Amino acid sequence: MHTAARRMDVDQAASDLRSRTLSDIPRSLDRLIYLASMRDYNTGLYYHDGLASRFTQEVACEALADCHREAFAQLVSCSLRELVGQMEEYIHSTHTSARDFVTAWRKLEPYRVAVPVETDPIAASFLFSSFKIALAVLEARLHSAPAGPSA
Amino acid sequence: MITLIFFLAVAALLFSSLFFLARRKPRAEGGSFALIEARQALNALQSGLLPVELVKRIFAQEDWEFVRSEAPKPVRILFMEERKKTALLWIDEVRVQVRNLQRFHRGSARSYARLNPRVELELALSFAALLSACRLLRVLVYVGGPYAAPRMIGAMANAAARTCEISERSLAFLNAAQMGMLDGRPAGHATR
Repeated sequence: MHTAARRMDVDQAASDLRSRTLSDIPRSLDRLIYLASMRDYNTGLYYHDGLASRFTQEVACEALADCHREAFAQLVSCSLRELVGQMEEYIHSTHTSARDFVTAWRKLEPYRVAVPVETDPIAASFLFSSFKIALAVLEARLHSAPAGPSA
Repeated sequence: MITLIFFLAVAALLFSSLFFLARRKPRAEGGSFALIEARQALNALQSGLLPVELVKRIFAQEDWEFVRSEAPKPVRILFMEERKKTALLWIDEVRVQVRNLQRFHRGSARSYARLNPRVELELALSFAALLSACRLLRVLVYVGGPYAAPRMIGAMANAAARTCEISERSLAFLNAAQMGMLDGRPAGHATR
């Protein structure tokens, strides 16, 4: 009974998060990065003050984890063309030079720490591999395009 | 007299054997660990490895079409290497989980009266066919790349999913609550 009530709270919190915050972040790549940034690297717990004040810290944490898994699943189901497109738009939104972005992402592979915990290893491995290919596609586009100061 | 002593000795031996056999605790063949492993293998296959969306994405032809039309040769080579690596990883993982499930059924079929021998035989044949298909598919993908046998991948994934369903029905008496207790976790958290 208690578990069912808690699950209802989590669902309500997740719905609240989707309507208030995530609706402003249309791309699943941006959502994945945003939700990963809500997680404490030392504990694996998610924090969101606004959500925690409306519900409880535990419920907010579970709701954020649910939405994180959802964003991950959405990104895994994207085609390579869509992933490249999302990365281009993400670069544009960060106002970073595309060359700098591609170089940094190839070296640091930040997407590796952006996946939810207890993710299926094959799905995670597939997504990492797709990121690697997408970065190579973007780099090839940069090489073929005339050198410019920005993305 | 000697004959009488001999028969008395034999009777005593038989009686003591019966006594020890009756006192022996029933052996928990398979044990809770094997049950958990079987359930985990089922979950790994059903929710991690065999969902149609994931299999479709790993072997998606449209990704190759995109790379072929958009990217230069080094990227095309990278794409093929990466997809081949993922495909082999997927096949290996399916094989490992099928073998885990097979090991459980092989070891436990005789221990649980509620397992149907006919279903277990059907499962044994399915496991053997699946493992052979995995081996063949691995060779084909290793030699010919990720798009070497698209129909076989689909057929194998479907066959594995069907085998999982039969196995799940066969193990239905080990419901989530029991698995949760065995696992030392509350019901509903027995997955993976």
